[in-house]
Amino acid sequence: MTRRLTRRTLLRGTGAALALPWLEAMTPGAQAAVTKSSKLPVRMAFLYMPNGVLPGAWTPEASGSDYELTPSLAPLAEVRNEVSILTNLWNQSAKGGDGHYVKTSGFLTCSTPNKTLGVDININGVSMDQLAAQKLGGLTPLPSLELCTAPVTTGVDKNVGYTRVYGSHIAWGGPTNPLAREINPRLVFERLFRASGPNQNSAKEDVLLLDRVLEDARQLRQELGTADRIRIDEYLSVVRSLEDRIEKAGRPERRTWKPRAPINAAAKPEGIPKDHGEHCRLMLDMIALGFQTDTTRIATFLFSNAVSNQNFAFVEGVNSGHHSVSHHQKDPDKMRQYQIINRWHVEQYVYLLRKLRDMKEGESNVLANSMILFGSGLRDGDRHDPHNLPLLLGGHGGGRLIMGSHYVFSEDTPLANLYVSMLDAFGMPVERFADSTGPLTPIIHT
Amino acid sequence: MFFRVHPLCAVLLSAPLWSQQAQMSFPEVQGVLKKHCLACHQGKAPTGGFDVTKLSSEQSLNAQPRLWARLGNRIRNGDMPPKSAPAPAPETRDRLLTWLDHTLQTVACADGISPGNAPIRRLNRDEYSATIRDLLNIHVNAAHALPADGAGGEGFDNAAETLFLSPVHAEKYLEAAKQALDYAFTDTKARAVFLNAEPGKTVTPEEAAQKVLAKFLPRAFRRPIAPSESDRYMVLFRDAQKRGESYERSIRYALQAVLLSPHFLFRYEAANPEAAPRLLNGHSLASRLSYFLWGSMPDETLFNLATEDKLHDPTVLREQIARMLKDQRSREFAERFVEQWLNTRELGRDIKPDAKLFPAYYDAEIQGAIRYEPILFFQDILAENRSITELIDSKFTFLTNKLEKFYGLPNTKLRQQPVRVELPADSHRGGLLGMSAVLAVSSYPQRTSPVLRGKWILDALLGTPPPPPPPDVPELAEDHSNSAVPKTMRERLSMHRDKPACAGCHSRIDPLGFALENYDVLGQWRTTEGGKPVDSKGQLPDGAEFEGVEGLKNVLLEQKKVFARNLTSKLLGYALGRGLTLEEYCTVDAIVADLDKNNYSAHTLISGIVLSVPFRWQAGTAQNQPVISDNLSRREEPK
Repeated sequence: MTRRLTRRTLLRGTGAALALPWLEAMTPGAQAAVTKSSKLPVRMAFLYMPNGVLPGAWTPEASGSDYELTPSLAPLAEVRNEVSILTNLWNQSAKGGDGHYVKTSGFLTCSTPNKTLGVDININGVSMDQLAAQKLGGLTPLPSLELCTAPVTTGVDKNVGYTRVYGSHIAWGGPTNPLAREINPRLVFERLFRASGPNQNSAKEDVLLLDRVLEDARQLRQELGTADRIRIDEYLSVVRSLEDRIEKAGRPERRTWKPRAPINAAAKPEGIPKDHGEHCRLMLDMIALGFQTDTTRIATFLFSNAVSNQNFAFVEGVNSGHHSVSHHQKDPDKMRQYQIINRWHVEQYVYLLRKLRDMKEGESNVLANSMILFGSGLRDGDRHDPHNLPLLLGGHGGGRLIMGSHYVFSEDTPLANLYVSMLDAFGMPVERFADSTGPLTPIIHT
Repeated sequence: MFFRVHPLCAVLLSAPLWSQQAQMSFPEVQGVLKKHCLACHQGKAPTGGFDVTKLSSEQSLNAQPRLWARLGNRIRNGDMPPKSAPAPAPETRDRLLTWLDHTLQTVACADGISPGNAPIRRLNRDEYSATIRDLLNIHVNAAHALPADGAGGEGFDNAAETLFLSPVHAEKYLEAAKQALDYAFTDTKARAVFLNAEPGKTVTPEEAAQKVLAKFLPRAFRRPIAPSESDRYMVLFRDAQKRGESYERSIRYALQAVLLSPHFLFRYEAANPEAAPRLLNGHSLASRLSYFLWGSMPDETLFNLATEDKLHDPTVLREQIARMLKDQRSREFAERFVEQWLNTRELGRDIKPDAKLFPAYYDAEIQGAIRYEPILFFQDILAENRSITELIDSKFTFLTNKLEKFYGLPNTKLRQQPVRVELPADSHRGGLLGMSAVLAVSSYPQRTSPVLRGKWILDALLGTPPPPPPPDVPELAEDHSNSAVPKTMRERLSMHRDKPACAGCHSRIDPLGFALENYDVLGQWRTTEGGKPVDSKGQLPDGAEFEGVEGLKNVLLEQKKVFARNLTSKLLGYALGRGLTLEEYCTVDAIVADLDKNNYSAHTLISGIVLSVPFRWQAGTAQNQPVISDNLSRREEPK
C-alpha cells in the first residue's frame, strides 16, 4: 500500500489530488481496523420511495416489540424480527424549499441543496453512503452501486426553481457530484461480473492505457482556468480510481478482497423488463448479488425519481399514477390507491430482506450482516411534510443493531443520528454527521 | 456590465400574459420596499447584510444591479418577506417583479453585451454516441451502456453545469472504446475511414501508425494537433509492438487511448488570455456549430473552413447553416431539442397512457409515429426555412399509415415510414397542438386535464410557467360530502375563479386547456365526453373569448412574439449548453425583433443565434468585461 501511494504521489502528486477523499481509503489504519474486527463484512443499502406515505395507514399505534402492523406495513409480518420501524425522525435541512427535490436530494446528506436550475448545483454535503464508500469502498471491487428504474428526469422545474437532477439523486460523492445511477439490470450484472473477476491479462494493458489518459488530463488541466479544473479533477479522480481497482484486481496477491461466492454468468438478466415490479425486483436482485459475492457493500436504489407518476395500474385496486394519487386531497378513492402503492413498496422491501436472509453466510446469513434502510424524504405526500419520515430499518448490521421493534423517538429527532449509528455499525464511526446530536442509542449495541 | 442573475429571474421577463396591470412607478416600488422590507433591512446591521436603503435612488439600478437582482430573486422564490411578516398582495408582488425584470434588462441591454463563459464539459451520452459514429463511421450506439444525463440551464441535458462524472463513467468509457473499436476493425466501411495506412513493402509499421494517428487525432480532438501530441500515442503503439502484438492490435491500442483522452471526451475552448473578449478560434466555432446543429463532431468541410479561417464570415456561416440543416444529422438536433423542449421525452417513460383504457397506444408502430411526428415536423421547418409560427399552426404534418388512420384522416395510401402530408382543411391537425405526443404528455394516464394542458402551453410554448399553487390553499375537493359540489370537470374547475387564491393563475391556465378538450388522452378527436358534448370554449382574463383548438391557435398567434422569444431563448440556451445571463436576453430580444421583420423564418432564427456575440465570442479575463454591441446590422462586420 504505502509503496503504491508513494509512487502515485510522486507520479501524479498535485495539491488537488491529495485532497481527494479516495486517498483516505489508502490509509492502512482504516482497512486494518475493519479486516481485523469483523470476519464477516457489514453491508448497507438504501431504498428510496418517492412521494411519501399515507400517514394514517403507516405508523403502528403501539411502540416496542408488541405493536400491531398497519395496513401499509402488513408485508413486514414475514420479517418482523429482522426489521424495525423508526418513528419521529426528521431531516431538518429539508424543511424549506419545495415539496420533493430538496427532500429527495438531501435524504442521505441531511443538508440543503442550493436552489438552482443547474448553474450552481450544490448539495452542501456528502451523502453518508458515499462517505462510507470513500473510506472503505476500496475493500471491494466496486465501492458502491447506484441504481434506479427510470433515467434522470428530463429538464428543469421552473415552477419551483430546481433542476430535476436533484430529484433523481440521493448519492452524492461531493457537494457538486451526484452519482450517476444505472437502470438496466443486465448492465449492472455485467458490471458486477467484470469487477468480480477481471481479466488479468488485459489488466496491465488497461493500466498503461489509463496512465496515458491521466497524463493527458494533467496536461490539459494546466491549460484551464480554476473553474474548469474542477471538472478535469473529477475526471482524474474517476480514472485513477478505476486504474487503482484494475491494478489491484490484476494482482491477486495484493487483493484484500476475496470473493465470498462466485457470480454465475448464466444468471444474467435480459435487460429492462416492461413490468415495473419485475424491474424493481431485478434491481434488488443485483444488490443482493453484489452483497452476497462481496463485490460491493454499499448500494442505493430509487424505486423511481422524485415526483414520479409511475402508473401503478399493474397492482390490483390501482388505476392511477403515483404522484397524482399522492395528492389525494382527501379523495377517499385516491387515498385508498395511495395506500396500496405504499404497501406495494413495502412488499418489494420485504422481497429483498427475505432474499438476503436466504443467503447463508457461515452460521448466519447476509441479512444479519446488513443494514437495509427503506424510506422517503417526505411523510405525507399530500402535504410534503418533512417531519416524522416513514423509515424502516432491516438487518442486524453484523449483530450491532437491535431489531424487531417499533421505535418511537422524541419528536423531531435528527435523521442524521440514525446515520451516525449506521456508520458505526458499518465500521467507520464518526463523531458527527450533518446536524446529528448523537447516536440513535436504543437501536444499537454500544 | 456583466452580471449573472438567477436564471429563474431571467426567464420571466414578460408580464403575465393577458394581464391588465399597470406598470409600477419607481416611487410606488419604494413604497412597497418601505412597507415590507425596511423594518429589518436597514441600519448598522441589516438582516442578512442586505441594506434596502442602498436601493432608494433610481441611480442604484445602474450602480447596484446585483443587489436589485438579489432582491427580486428572494421575493420571487417566496423567501421574502418571511412568513412572520405581512406579505404584499399577490398582484403587487407580480407588478413589482415585472417592473424589476424590465428595468434590469433595460439597464443591461443599454450597454451592449459581453460574452458569457463557456465552461468545459464532457460530451453527453447522445453526443458521445454520435461522435463515435462519425469518427469511426460505424452505425452502432457506442453509448448504450452510459448512464443518462440530467438537465440544467435552459432545461437541456447538454448543460455544462449538470454533466457530472461518476466512477461508473470511467468504467463505461473504457468498455465502450473497446467495443466500438472491436466493431470498427471488422467493418470494411469503417476501416476505409480511419485505417488510412498499413505496413507494406515500402511502409514500416511505425510509419503506418504515424499516418493513422496524423489523420485520426485532429478528427478526434476536433482541432489541429502538435507533433508532440501524436508522439505520446506512438509510445503506446510501440509498447504493444514490443509485447509482440500485431500491427492492427497495436494501433488499436493507441486509438483506444485516444477515445479515453479528455481531449476527445470533453469539449473545451483554449482560454482567452486577453482582458478583452475576442472572437473564438475557428475550430472552437466549428465545434460549437456542429454540436449545436448535429450533436456531433465537425465534418471535413467545417474543419477545413476553420483551418482556412473562413468560418467567421457571415456569408459562409449562413451557407453552412443551410447545408447543415438539410443534412440528415440535423435529425439528432431536432430529436434532442424538441423532446426536451416539449417534454415529450417523458412520454412512455414517466408519463404513460393507461394500457387498459388506451390500448391503441400500445402498438410499437403507433408509438414510434407519435414520438417522431413533432421531431420530423420541427426538422422540416428548419431545413425548408419555413416560418416558426407554423409550429403553432400549419397545413402539414408527418404521418405514417397507422397514424393517419389513428387521427381519423382520409386514407392517402401512406406506408410505415413517416412522410410529410398536406392536411385537409377540416383535419383538426396542423401545428404542435394537434399532435398526439404533445396532447398525451400533458394528460394524466387516465384522463385529460385542462389544467395540465394549460400549464403545458404557458410553460413549453410561451415560457411563462405559472407558479406552483401557494401552500395552505383550501383544496377544491375538500367538501366532497356536500351534495351541491358540481360534478363535471368544467364546473369543478370554475370554482378556481371564485377563490381569489386560485383565480390569479387559473384564469390564465384553465381556458387554454379547455380549448383542447376535443382531444382525448391520446390526442384522438372526440365530440362528446362521458355522454355530454365537449365544451371547448374559453375566456381569457382580458375578456377575449375563443373556442376550440382553432380559436386557441389564433390566441397563440397573437402572442407569436412571446412564443418566438421563448423558443429563441431555449435554442440559445441549448446552443450554448448553459443557462442564459440577463444580458443574453438582450440577444434574444434582438433576434426576436429580427424575426418579426423577416416573417419569423427559421433561418433568421438559427443564423441569429449562430452570428450572435454569445455564440461566436469568448470572454476575456477582465472583471468588468468590455462590451460588444449586439446590434444586428453591425454584427455583419466582425472585427
